[in-house]
Amino acid sequence: MSVRLHLDDPHARPFIVLAACIILLAAIDGGHGRFLSFATAYSALQTFATISLVTLGLGLTMMIREFDLSVVGMYGMAGCIAVLTGTHHPWLGLGFGLGIGLTAGIVQGFIIVRLHLSSVGVTLGGLLVFVGIAFVLAESRSLPYDNLGVALLLNKRIGGVFSIRSVVALAFFAGAAAIFAWTRLGRDIIAIGSDRRASMTAGVKVDTLIVGIFAFSGFCAALSGVLLSYSLASASPAGLSDVIAPAAAGAILGGVSLGGGTGRPLGIAAGALTLAVLRSGLNAVGAPPFVNDIAMGAVLLAVAVLDGPYLARRLVGVRRMARRALGA
Amino acid sequence: MTERSTAGAGSGVGAAADPLRGRLTHARLFFWAQTVGLVVLLAVILTTPGFLAEPSILALLTTVSFIGCVAVGMTLITISGNIMSFALGATVGVTAMVFILAANWLGLGAGLLVGLVFGSLLTGLQGLLIGWVRANPIIVSIAALALIYGVTQAFSEKGTIYADPGTIPALVKGKIAGIPIEFIVFLLSVTIAQFILSFTRFGRNLFMVGSSFRAAEAVGVRTWRTITGAYLWAGFFTSLAAIMLAVRYDAANMDYGVAYDYDAIAAVLVGGTAIGGGHGSALRTFAGAMVIAAVQVMLLLKGLRQEWQYLAAGLIVLAVIVLQARGSGR
Repeated sequence: MSVRLHLDDPHARPFIVLAACIILLAAIDGGHGRFLSFATAYSALQTFATISLVTLGLGLTMMIREFDLSVVGMYGMAGCIAVLTGTHHPWLGLGFGLGIGLTAGIVQGFIIVRLHLSSVGVTLGGLLVFVGIAFVLAESRSLPYDNLGVALLLNKRIGGVFSIRSVVALAFFAGAAAIFAWTRLGRDIIAIGSDRRASMTAGVKVDTLIVGIFAFSGFCAALSGVLLSYSLASASPAGLSDVIAPAAAGAILGGVSLGGGTGRPLGIAAGALTLAVLRSGLNAVGAPPFVNDIAMGAVLLAVAVLDGPYLARRLVGVRRMARRALGA
Repeated sequence: MTERSTAGAGSGVGAAADPLRGRLTHARLFFWAQTVGLVVLLAVILTTPGFLAEPSILALLTTVSFIGCVAVGMTLITISGNIMSFALGATVGVTAMVFILAANWLGLGAGLLVGLVFGSLLTGLQGLLIGWVRANPIIVSIAALALIYGVTQAFSEKGTIYADPGTIPALVKGKIAGIPIEFIVFLLSVTIAQFILSFTRFGRNLFMVGSSFRAAEAVGVRTWRTITGAYLWAGFFTSLAAIMLAVRYDAANMDYGVAYDYDAIAAVLVGGTAIGGGHGSALRTFAGAMVIAAVQVMLLLKGLRQEWQYLAAGLIVLAVIVLQARGSGR
């Protein structure tokens, strides 16, 4: 009884999926020790560090029924900016990257709120501009980062499985979860996503929150871009652009619905961790890399169809047709 | 996510398209301002020294044709109210590969047919999901993107597929009356798409579905058929681009279509097709594609590095999106 209750709780679902993935991969591994090892856990957490903050930012915009496409461009642009400005003073590069992420997010949020524009359109424009700036800064090539000490430091293992990058990502999620648990902010965000007009009537500062969430999303994308470029010791304007699919998939796996109004930071963390475990686990048990792409695409497609507002109606139609065919 | 924009654009278009009043509304004003802007821009570009020198013009006509065909397909998706597809670039790559395989195996004619049918169905299937259960178009296209890359990797180990010597005759790579064949195909695509939009029942339904989904349903339009049709045609025009690329290089790989989705949506929006749907035309996309390409060539002629093209395209798109909102009086 209690198990069924847990399965029905939407907030528990991301964790159940995560557990199922881990059990499945352990079963595939079959006791070879390739999957359940410190090395795989470390690599999964590194992947988690790469995608999870973008997922959190994008997930929050999806929770308020918006969509921040520009994270992809911000990711690459912030990396290029940090590498260019931070060779001697890594903190300076980080500051520049984060400042620009925050500013760009605020500007986009303002345009969306003030002009009542669809966020997809505005952030599409933002995306193209950011990608353009990244290309101009990097002169269409990949930029080397000569401060190898920083790269080594960021990737150094802490306690066997963690690194500074993954600890930073985990700390952000802990902070976001605390804010959701103990302040009004979380409830307000959910309210905006469920019914914007009603939440406005109830006194939620809708516009301020929307701008804030886009600022946060830009900040998160910039932070992951900077940290990834530092740890790879290079930045490239084009190479990092395959981040939108994992970010959207992670948010959806984490319980954020496409219609807005649902989701929790810890759920999003579980969603991103599921993708990271899948990628590293499949790699560890020797599956070819395309399996990961196919799995991610299949999950996204399944959720898109299951979330389709007309699905129930169509199923009724199909059932009626089948009954008629059987009757005749 | 999309409802607000669709509703907003719908009201704006409704006001602009009311011929009885004949008033010069904001939307109509902006529409004409944009048209004049495009014409002035083209005039400035054409009078730039060196622009009309033949090599630069011919290079422009060929490169604009590949992205242009994808943009014509994207126009139909945008008008149908589904914003854009992120999978058209990947579709270019995979369709080019299927075309080369089929042409090697069955000959050029059969290869053409297989390529066109494959690309149309691949995109049409996404349209079916989006139209039939109203699945989120952005997520469906991102899913399709991941699936296409994954499945292609599983089937092709070497990456690039080459055409057997002699499969593709040199004749189809030439020029007709000094104009590259690619550009003629692009012009034909624009004509076909514009004909569909202006003179068929499907075209009329497409505008209706895009400007107000509920109204279209209320008057009995089978919306899922219209949306699936839009994606089928989008896939068709995208396959044309794919086949032209494969023919030009006698080879195909997944790098062919990279970033074409972004270039295509840029051309669509710069031309003046509304991002919220229900408003636009293939001719406008043609103008948009030509303007972006011309600006890029002009930047090159002025000695600016190639990267500035991306930035210029991005800024133009952002400006158009923001100005469109001001223009429609919201």
